[in-house]
Amino acid sequence: MALARKLPLISDRPLANAGLSSERVLMPNKGPGVFEEEIDGIEDALGITTVEKAVAWAQANSMWPDTFGLACCAIEMMSIVSSRYDISRFGMERFSSSPRQADLLIVSGRVTHKMAGPLRQVYDQMLEPKWVIAMGACASSGGMFNNYTVLQGVDKIVPVDIHVPGCPPRPEALMEGIVRLHEKIKAGVPPAYMIRGVAQ
Amino acid sequence: MTVTYDGVPGLVETVGGHGETTLVVDAARIVEACSFLRDERRFNFLSDLTPTDYLGWASRGVAGHIGSHGGRDMHAPGSQGFARVPDPKPKRFAVNYHLLRISDDPERVRVQAWLDDGEEIDTVIPVWPTADWFEREAWDMFGIVFRGHPNLVRILMEDDWEGHPLRKDYPIGGEPVRFSGEE
Amino acid sequence: MSVIERSIKVYEGSRIPSPIPTALKVDQEKHSLDDILTINFGPNHPSTHGVLRLIVDLDGEMVAGLSAVIGYLHTGFEKTMEQKTWWKCITYPERIDYVSFQANELAFVLAMEKLLEIEVPRKATWMRMCLAELTRIHSHLVWLGTSALELGAISMFWYTFDDRDATLDLFEMVCGTRMHTRYFQAGGLAEDIPEGFYDQAREWCKKMPKAIDEYEAILDRNAIWLKRTKGIGLLSADDAIALGQSGPVLRASGVNWDLRKSMPYLAYGEVDFDVPVFPEGDVYARYRVHMEEMRESVRIVAQCIERLAEMRGEPWIADDRKVVLPPREELHTSMESLIHHFKIVTEGYLVPEGEVYECVESPRGEFGVYLASDGGPKPWRVKFRAPSFVALQATATCMTDAAIADMIAIVGSLDGVMGEVDR
Repeated sequence: MALARKLPLISDRPLANAGLSSERVLMPNKGPGVFEEEIDGIEDALGITTVEKAVAWAQANSMWPDTFGLACCAIEMMSIVSSRYDISRFGMERFSSSPRQADLLIVSGRVTHKMAGPLRQVYDQMLEPKWVIAMGACASSGGMFNNYTVLQGVDKIVPVDIHVPGCPPRPEALMEGIVRLHEKIKAGVPPAYMIRGVAQ
Repeated sequence: MTVTYDGVPGLVETVGGHGETTLVVDAARIVEACSFLRDERRFNFLSDLTPTDYLGWASRGVAGHIGSHGGRDMHAPGSQGFARVPDPKPKRFAVNYHLLRISDDPERVRVQAWLDDGEEIDTVIPVWPTADWFEREAWDMFGIVFRGHPNLVRILMEDDWEGHPLRKDYPIGGEPVRFSGEE
Repeated sequence: MSVIERSIKVYEGSRIPSPIPTALKVDQEKHSLDDILTINFGPNHPSTHGVLRLIVDLDGEMVAGLSAVIGYLHTGFEKTMEQKTWWKCITYPERIDYVSFQANELAFVLAMEKLLEIEVPRKATWMRMCLAELTRIHSHLVWLGTSALELGAISMFWYTFDDRDATLDLFEMVCGTRMHTRYFQAGGLAEDIPEGFYDQAREWCKKMPKAIDEYEAILDRNAIWLKRTKGIGLLSADDAIALGQSGPVLRASGVNWDLRKSMPYLAYGEVDFDVPVFPEGDVYARYRVHMEEMRESVRIVAQCIERLAEMRGEPWIADDRKVVLPPREELHTSMESLIHHFKIVTEGYLVPEGEVYECVESPRGEFGVYLASDGGPKPWRVKFRAPSFVALQATATCMTDAAIADMIAIVGSLDGVMGEVDR
């Protein structure tokens, strides 16, 4: 809602009608894939009551991210906090170091196998509802590092709601990821751990 | 002020190249050589301590450098694209110590000691305390044991990791890339 | 002035712990073991500049024992680069010290050029110097913002990051992207300098000194800042050299050592700048060194812009087609250019056999690259000597008689970036 770009509605899927305006939803002929299989399941979950809508609005507009800056993407995450790319217009400037008080885990940077344990611990300590943004190429898929030490995608250990591509993604790109996340929540899409399940 | 490197204990040979001097030193006398360089030649700063694994060196020919800024040197065999094999190295591992003299007459030098797989070398922490983590990293990545190191444990990899990643016979690891649309 | 100033002694003797120089062990004479509480600091903690884990033994508020666990960001740069061709390798070093990215690129490219024995045009040399100094300012701004944030001066974060965005605008204008620009290539620069850069850089040079004055106005006479940084984290000159420190940490301990002046590279011999040195060896001295260095860097950038403006129209990369990609227009007309482009992009250019160790003065200190080549298209061995790796080794020495709140200040002042530490 913050950017309010009115894209031409090419798709009449329920998700598009609910307010999600990302490319894969609006242009359903882009190609088959895991995403399309998943949204079939999501669309059954749509159609939320007014109370749930209010709750979703509150959740989206005051999400507190967790300080999980690992590497270069953390510097761009810090710059989205700064005054030019103000994240506090979304109510998110209060980065919480304690995972108990955080709603959103922005994994920014390459995750090594050694760090995977602490990452999972932090995720587990967050209280539901919680969302995860995999920021950057390294968090989404291992990035330019396909070797013995980098986890090839943080979605191997935590369920990810939004992947933001880039190396590092510009603050505007991260902002688009956050806006999409807000759209998802307000549309009634459950957080990723309810759709994908969480590896134990 | 030109400094001569005669008198370095255990000096096997001196190699020059690209404006740098490399002192190849007998691995058994490395602490003597380093103490001499620190005390007599005033190399008070250990810049870097890094091993190199030469397993597989010279096993394949390389065409050599075909071009250069000023044009090809027509007489060097490498410049005509003929395959040449690099000169073989004495042993498998080279431990390089990059030294620096912080003073009004600065200078850099590289000390090199050669080791085979399984050979140990003495720690130079008594000479420069900064060698601590460098030697731990060398042990972690290459498996080179530094005798006398007070805390030779894994530093970059997990404590229970097996294998030494930067060795040439250790695989790069990683996963094949999955493409969407494939099963 | 001689390199090591001996008039002020920060402390007598050496405080380097023994037997392990990088870890403090609880001194059982001073602290009873029953009083010790061992806490774990990190790896996810806002005050540790990334994923650093410190295992701290506390006796009340005083730190009795300390050991650092690193490796949470070990990305395997060195092994990965052995698998990539030289041209592709250039994108990797930037991500090592991700706050001063162009300094890492510079060191790697200079090392490659040493092996290649290729001559770089002067426009490229001066632009590299200009961007290296802009990187220094960028890095110091991030350092200042985050260190001040950790000590409680939260508003500094917003001020410094605003100026950092102005600096990144310059990077974006020249290199095409804000961070990780891969603008330095073997032989020069990837592209020519755009025309609008000179005016925008001149305006930036006018604005920056005023911004630095603002930061000092906020911090310099603030009683809390002074109390938390003066006399904290002492490191003497001899200990600093024995522990391999370089950069601002060394200069704040009274050692007049800066690679740009003592062993100049690029064109640092031809620009006018001073090197700030402070003898006190505490956190406040390191803060002053960083601030003065920012001012000197702005001076260097201003001089570089004037020289570069005279070099309009000159080549920005060497002419050696075996190493440098030909300009795109030529690919349509010249067969040789097409073949060169193909060979460079697929097989990669060949760097002659040899080994070099090349250092630059990165914002954190001496960033060194050790390259060994076997004459092939891929590196045989690349080692990065990261200054933060060494700086963290000094944590234990600086922490003698420190309280836990001082630990934050000390680790911050040592300016460690974990990407560099773990590589």
